Amino acid sequence: MVFLGQVIAWFLNPAHWTGSHGVPTRVLEHLQISGIAVGAALVIALPIGIALGHWGRGGLLAINVSNVGRALPSFGILVIAFEVFGLNNTPVLVALTLLAIPPVVTNSFIAVRDVDPELRDAARGMGMRERRVLFEVELPLALPLIMAGIRTAAVQVVATATLAALIAGGGLGRYILDGLGQRDDVQVFAGAALVALLAMAVELAFSGLEQIVTPRGIKGNPVGRMAVGVVEPRLF
Amino acid sequence: MRSFKFQAFLMTILGLSLIASACGTSGGGSPSTTTKETLTFAGFNFSESTILMDIYGKALEAKGYKINYKANLGSREVVEPALASGQIDFYPGYAATDLEFINKGKGEATGDPQATTAKLNTYLSAIGAKALDPSPALDANAFAVTKATAAKYSLTKLSDLAPVAGRMVLGGPPECATRPYCQPGLKSVYGANFKDFKALDADGPLTRAALSGGQVDIALVFSSDGDLDSRGYVVLDDDKHLEAADNVVPIIRTKVLNSEITSIFNKISAALNTTDLRAMNKSAGIDHVDPDTLAATWLKQHGFTS
Repeated sequence: MVFLGQVIAWFLNPAHWTGSHGVPTRVLEHLQISGIAVGAALVIALPIGIALGHWGRGGLLAINVSNVGRALPSFGILVIAFEVFGLNNTPVLVALTLLAIPPVVTNSFIAVRDVDPELRDAARGMGMRERRVLFEVELPLALPLIMAGIRTAAVQVVATATLAALIAGGGLGRYILDGLGQRDDVQVFAGAALVALLAMAVELAFSGLEQIVTPRGIKGNPVGRMAVGVVEPRLF
Repeated sequence: MRSFKFQAFLMTILGLSLIASACGTSGGGSPSTTTKETLTFAGFNFSESTILMDIYGKALEAKGYKINYKANLGSREVVEPALASGQIDFYPGYAATDLEFINKGKGEATGDPQATTAKLNTYLSAIGAKALDPSPALDANAFAVTKATAAKYSLTKLSDLAPVAGRMVLGGPPECATRPYCQPGLKSVYGANFKDFKALDADGPLTRAALSGGQVDIALVFSSDGDLDSRGYVVLDDDKHLEAADNVVPIIRTKVLNSEITSIFNKISAALNTTDLRAMNKSAGIDHVDPDTLAATWLKQHGFTS
């Protein structure tokens, strides 16, 4: 209980809320790194997942590559990228972007592929060209599951962006690492708590966003609301 | 579907055996013909400490002891409590910094290694440990800038920092912000108030990258480093003697100490000197020679092993 009191005192200390080592600065740094990584992952992963889902081909390859990507250790990638790119934000961005890609690819592929084939048929039967089928029929229906994939990626990235501190970067990982070096357990706990809170906040924000972008027509649809986490594809 | 299950079974076995082989240790060490104790040796998170830990450890292994090594355990904030709680038995300390750590910065360390070690022992006895004879080998904190920075601010000694520190960023390991021989010391002894502090590592690759790349203007290095000249760094002179007698000193728990260990360690400490440290650090830092190898070579050259 004494320890908890010390942690609360840490948060109440105004010195920890100002300056280049203060909580607002660190949170901003953390969100900045995470945001760029998720953004880069979306630019790479969304077109791939959606296109493959639309054509219904190459999905097995995409998903397997994705799964292998999930096994890559972010810490290892960080160190290798540091050797290549040096002491700046690029190594962290590389590691985090690679972390964010698999859930987005998998979810967007499954989401587009699993749109009811009868709907696709009907659209084509009405004379819609492929691009209209994709943008006006498939994507709106696939949106909830795609958003779930983005949400998963975002939360994972925010939780893992603490790695930046390992190569003298900023963000909330700084409190954890510096606290370990200075044997300041209160600082370590405060840093960990902040990361957890931030990850939860991101989860809630994206859940809200999911609700907003889901078309009203399929909101009551159980498939639309089953979009939680990442869908594990059946390979056999 | 039967063939699938069999394939899955094979894959699992393959995966598990890969993991198991990766976990396997490489035997090695002397044959246990005697029943000497097993000791746990630890070192700080920089290569010189690993080399020293290996030197003292391998000398005992040659006498039939079994040593568990925990290299790069962490900063002193991690290592000293581990010794006090008995989780490790030994670490290679530095007399002045260890004294100022355990006495919580009272300022009792001097430039005299014998007196400093004696004072250190008065505190160590309370946690069941002892520092043996200090070595002539010295490795103190030092502060380096690039040649360009030295020219820009006309820096040759630490006293030159006071007027310009407000424009400079200091880099060092995270604990530098709270250690008397680091940032607080620079402030109290030299009046140097830096613009900002950037946490890097303990005189490792991050420190060198940040100093050479300009992310910090001045960084903590160790006086026994072997690559400072080749990187174009200028070490500023400690003219007001902030840094004290940081001689290498073996610190060991009294419970595991015996006359044989005392005798061997004191002989090793006497044979070590700063030139040796610098040469080994250079090999480790620039030529990337394994600390293990460097330790074994040193012991052989000085007749502790055959």
